[in-house]
This record gives sequence, structure tokens and C-alpha cells, in this order.
Amino acid sequence: MSATETPSTAPAPEAAIPTSRTTSGPDLAKIVIGVVIMAAAAAFPFVVDDTATVRMVSLGLIMAIGAMGLNVLTGYTGQISIGHAAFYGIGAYITANLMIEQKLTFLATLPFSVLICAVAGALVGLPALRVKGPALALVTLGLAILVPTLLHKFGSSGGVALWKPKRSHLNSPVDALTNTQWKYLVPLAALVIVYVLTRNIVHSRAGRALIAVRDQEVAATTAGINVAATKITAFAISAAYCGLAGSLSVLVRGQADASSALAYFQMSIYFLVAVVVGGTATIAGPILGGLLVQILDEKAPDWSGNKVGMAPFILGTALVVIAYFLPGGILGGYRQLKAKLTRSP
Amino acid sequence: MTTKRRRAAAIFAAALMVFGSACTNDDDDPVATDGGNGGDSGNVGDQIEGVLEDCPEGTDTAGIDGNVIKLVSTFPQEGSLAAFAEIAKGYTAYFDMVNDEGGVEIAGESYTVEVETFNDNYNPPETVENINRAFGPDGDGAFAAFSVVGTANNIAIRDDLNDLCVPNIFASTGSPAMGNPDYPWMIGSTLPLYSTEAAAFAEYLKAEMPDATVAMLLQNGEYGDGYEESFNQAIEGTDITVVATQRYDAGLATDVSAQVTNLANSDADVFFNGATLLPCPMGMTKADELGWDALKYVSGTCASKTLIGAAEGAADGVLSASNVMDPSNTDWDSDERMKLYKETVDAWRTANSIEGADVTNGVVAYGWTLGELFVKALEASESASRSAVMASLNNLEVSAPGVLYEEITVKTGENDRFLGEAAKIARYDLARETFVPLDELYDFEGGEAIPESLITG
Repeated sequence: MSATETPSTAPAPEAAIPTSRTTSGPDLAKIVIGVVIMAAAAAFPFVVDDTATVRMVSLGLIMAIGAMGLNVLTGYTGQISIGHAAFYGIGAYITANLMIEQKLTFLATLPFSVLICAVAGALVGLPALRVKGPALALVTLGLAILVPTLLHKFGSSGGVALWKPKRSHLNSPVDALTNTQWKYLVPLAALVIVYVLTRNIVHSRAGRALIAVRDQEVAATTAGINVAATKITAFAISAAYCGLAGSLSVLVRGQADASSALAYFQMSIYFLVAVVVGGTATIAGPILGGLLVQILDEKAPDWSGNKVGMAPFILGTALVVIAYFLPGGILGGYRQLKAKLTRSP
Repeated sequence: MTTKRRRAAAIFAAALMVFGSACTNDDDDPVATDGGNGGDSGNVGDQIEGVLEDCPEGTDTAGIDGNVIKLVSTFPQEGSLAAFAEIAKGYTAYFDMVNDEGGVEIAGESYTVEVETFNDNYNPPETVENINRAFGPDGDGAFAAFSVVGTANNIAIRDDLNDLCVPNIFASTGSPAMGNPDYPWMIGSTLPLYSTEAAAFAEYLKAEMPDATVAMLLQNGEYGDGYEESFNQAIEGTDITVVATQRYDAGLATDVSAQVTNLANSDADVFFNGATLLPCPMGMTKADELGWDALKYVSGTCASKTLIGAAEGAADGVLSASNVMDPSNTDWDSDERMKLYKETVDAWRTANSIEGADVTNGVVAYGWTLGELFVKALEASESASRSAVMASLNNLEVSAPGVLYEEITVKTGENDRFLGEAAKIARYDLARETFVPLDELYDFEGGEAIPESLITG
């Protein structure tokens, strides 16, 4: 079975090769909506007083960045991965380590984290040239188990693989912003950059190459696309995004953690769920998916009265319901609804 | 160069300038010293006074909403790790009793005490996550952390809480590191220190088996190190020798069979089982299966009904060190403090439809003891503030709080921040399903049994 036959990675029907923007011109309504959303997102930590809620959304934004990374690989290029939290973990470790050992500021660690994860992603992409579908998924799963085990060799606290930069080094350097606002606005800014970058990639020649490789490798080769380079590039980009998400998690969570391979596997699945729930091979879908998965993960225990086993039940049920009623994800569902309304007399 | 490229180069150069001007973090933090904000290792009360100015502004009374003092705790609550969750039932029952009676009086005003709990699966990163979530970046989400379970778990959160001047009260671990004077906002609990346990057992061996050979099963990390260093210090100059040591990693699916087999091969006279949670009964059972005829000692953290019960027949005759009356021992039923504990927890469990909270479980009784001791510390506090409560906790003298043995007085002072410094050796009686204490109380008040390296570790 080829990766393109994997149901979970099947792109939404609307996610065909994008048309050139120059033919349609700027859409005023879209620009207005975008500005309103951005304004609302930026105002959020100034309007909402509850630090726990702001923190939850910050983590949702970080989850969204990781999911956008996986989406480049799985959604647009058709290469399935269930181990992308490995790059998230590497990114978190690099940031924490550089802050503790090299005394770098948080922001200064980000380029290193992104670059190293991109290289690691490219290396992991090499096996993808030979294996596809479930076999590739197994390779990535192995990665999710291997990385925390390796990082455990550098364990720091009571035999626990846990790295914590000084709390004060993660505080807001801007007097006008509280720590909570800073720890929200930095991931938000990163998400905006990642969004713009992804949009440009997807609408570029490189993006069309990713989609061509996903849809029909042989045809892509015939059309002169270097399939190997395209796949490795997709791995590198997605790993860089996930590494960035891991680094940002240190800002919000205050720690890098490699204590459990199971936690890495769970995070990898969360990325995948965020992609599918938000809308595979859509640019904004993983943002919605990431936010939703984070909120469900954090709120389900409260909603279930902290009863043992009920939180996973709520989370699982919600995901089944979404997948059943919105097979194209939230964004796919929205587009279908919009198309229906547009066709109505 | 085209306009587009010039613009890109300018942006890149500007970014480099910003990046270069602020890329190190070692010049911006007056509070950030290794080991928290405690400064020198002198009088802790003075240290708290001294560091208040470095605390986030206006947080000394944070976590008190009206007349409600909000505490936060995090500990394992699911699966095989849930044995420790019973601690919270003990202190919650005590706080509810006090709240129902009008609350605790601090400086002429009444306050009630509430506790919000989180599950951390005994996993330090999750403990950090829960504490960060509950207290927020400025440490004002609650008044204090209370009875957080686990040595590594408390070590993982101590820097953050200390920097934020958030009290971490009665850390539920016997590690002497909880009394480290560099962390004045943290204090351990009444649980016998690992050094107290080890020294008490060494004293017992000196009298009963003066030339014993000992094999030790230890958990990796500070917890296991605590037993090993303390025991080695306690047997210095005696004919008691440690002939084998095996370690295991804490975790959900830990199997210590291989380690116990290696220890049994040493044919030591004594099996010092320093494991906790399921590896502890597993160690006892395995030793029996192997026919290893050794005197068995189990960690105080294992001396609960749930864990000892899991070892079934293998638990018969094992020794442990304890400072609380075992509530499963009916000999204590006529004791007034035991009666109050049992009646109150029983009524509370029924009224609130609480699962568990078995009054004969020593872990619940330990939680109850913490509840009473904390209320006593609040009553003695000069004001309802974090610094005043910490000062009170560092100047305690409470005779037999909760269900501690009546001979024990919990004392803290200028250079002694340890609560669990006295213990009796008790033997498990399988027929009665209870621990029966031996007569002698081993009291190491003043920190004499604690290796220095464990305090500052």
C-alpha cells in the first residue's frame, strides 16, 4: 500500500494543487476576516484574566505549530508519521540545554533548535525514500521511542530526564507585558510566521511538487520533479516546525521532558489527530485542530469530574464524533457548508 | 542589488542586531542563584524575612480569597500508583472537620482551608506541569503547595516555588533534602526521614544482629541514595556490612525480580527492601519464592495496608520503621486521638461518598496527621501570610499531633527543619494484618543521623 492510500492522510477534496493567486487577486473579505482574527488573537491575553485559560490556549498554539509541521509532511506530501514528537522533544531539549549550559536567552535558542531539527528531519527522511505507508509509520514510531531513550542518557534530576531553565529566564523581558501575556504572544507570533511560511510554500513551485509527489509519484518524476529531494525537504520542514513547537513549549511549560516514550507517542498522535480533525492538507486546519485537541486534553478531566478513565473516554468520543460528521476535518466541513450555501438559490 | 533584496538584507541585519544584543541570560537575574533564593544557610526564619524583598510584589498573601486559604497538591491518583492518593483523604477529612467547626483562627480571624489536587502519575515533569498550571507564572494561583508526593517530584518543583516565594509545605518524602536551608520556602513532612529509618534499623541490628550482612534493594535517584548513605553512615564502626546492592528505575511497569535474585545470591542475613509502591511487595514475594531466609526490612513508604497486603504471606514478620500508630492495630482503638481520627474519617467518607479512605490504612492516618499539624502551624502563625506561616512551620513544637506515637514531639527550629526524626521499629503480624511496634523509640532530634550530603543534595 502506498502512503497515498492511507485513509487518515487522504486530503480533503478541496486540497487539490492550488491555483495561482495572481489569477484570483486579493479577496477583500478574506483580508478583513484575517485582520479581525489576528486582532482578536492578539487581544486575547489582555482581555482574559484567567492565567490558566491563557496558558491553555498558548499550548494550543504550540500544538498547532507542530500539527502544521506534520501537515506539510502527511497532508501535503502523503508521508505518514506517528513519531513527530521526537522532533518536538529534540527542540525542547536544545532550547533548555542552551539556556542552562550556554546561558543563551530563550529567543536566541530558537534558530539553533529549528536548524538542528531540520537536519535531523532530513536524516530521518532518508528511509522514507525506500519505505512507504505503514512501514514508514513504524520507522517514525521507532523514532518517537528512541529519542526520549537517548535523551534519558543526559538525565538531570533524580534520575529523571528533565531540564528546567531558571524560571526567571523565561519571564517577560518587556515591561509592558506580564509573563502570561509574553508566554502567549511569543507562540502566537511564531504561529503567524509559520502560517505565512506554509502558505508561501504551498502556493509555490515547491509546494506543488509536494502535492504532486503525494498524488502520483511516477507522474511527478515524469514531470521532472526530484521525488527524493522533495520528500527529504518535506521531512526537514516538518521537523523544523515541530522543533520550534518543542522550543516554545519550554517557554510555557518551563521544562523539557524526556522521561517517557509513551508521552512522546501520545504527543505524536495528538499532532496527527490535530491535522485530521482540523483538515488534512489545509493551511489553517491544523491550527483549529491543535487548539481543539489541547482544549479537549486539558478540559476533559474537569468535565468528567476527574473520574479515572473518563478523560480519555471524553477525548476519544469527541474525536470519533468529529471524524464521523466532518470527515474532511473542521475546515473541510466549513468549506462543504459554504459550497452548499453558495449553490442554494 | 534589487530593492527587494536590499530590503531583505536590511531586515536580516536588523534581526541580527536584536539577536546579538540579547542572547545571553546570565546578567539579568538578581534572584537566580543556584539553589534558589535562600542565600546563606543560616537561620531559615531570618532568611525568609531577608528574601521577601526579592519575592514577586504583593504575593505574600496570594491564594487567600476572602477567608479561604487555597492549597494545591499533586500526587499519583491512578492505577498501581494510587496508593499514595489516600494521603489526601486523611488531610482533607481533617480540614473539612476544622472548616465545619468554624475554621482555623489566625491572628484573631477565622479561615477555612481548601485543597485542589492534581494527578501527576508520580512523574516529575507532570508534577512541574501541574504546579505551573495551578500557580501560574507569578505564583499567585494558590497559597501554597501541600504534601506533594515524591522525592524527585519535589526536587523538580523546588526551584520554581522558591523563586516565587511559594511555600511547599510537608513535602511527602522522607528525603532530608526537603530541609535544605537553601530552600527556605520548602519543608518536609512527618514521614520518618530515610536517614531516621536507616539509623533506627541500624540501631536495631546493632542490638539484635551485631554482625549482620545486609543486601539492599534501592530505587534509582535521591530516594535510594538517601537510604544507602544514611545506612552506611549509621553502621560505620560496627561489624554490620552491606554485601550487595541492587537498584531499579521507578516506573509503572517495574519488575524487580532480577534485582532480588541477585541480592538473594549474596545470601545476606538481612534484606533491606528500600523499594516503594509495587516493587516493594514484589521484592518480598520474590525473596520468599527464592527461599531466601533473611530478616526483611521494608521502607516506611511501603508499610501501608495496600502494599503490605499485596505481599500476602511474604509480609509476615517484616520489619519497618514508623512514627504513627498503625490504625489497623486494634490495640490503639482505646486511644482518644485514634478514636477521633477513625470516627471523623469514617463519617466524612460516608457523608461525601468517598471511595477508599479506609480508616485502617496507615497512609490515611499519615495524611490526617499532616492536616492537624498544619492547622496547629496556622494557629501559631502571626498573620495569614506565606512568610508568617513558613516562620511558624520553622518554629514548631507540637506534642504527638494526629496519630503519631505519644512519646514523639515534632520540633523544628533555627538549624533543624526536620519533622520525622523519631521512629520505632515495628513488626508485621500477618495473622492480625497489622504492624506491632517494638518498645524502643529511636529519637535523632537535632539532625544527628542525617548525612550532610543528603541535605544539600
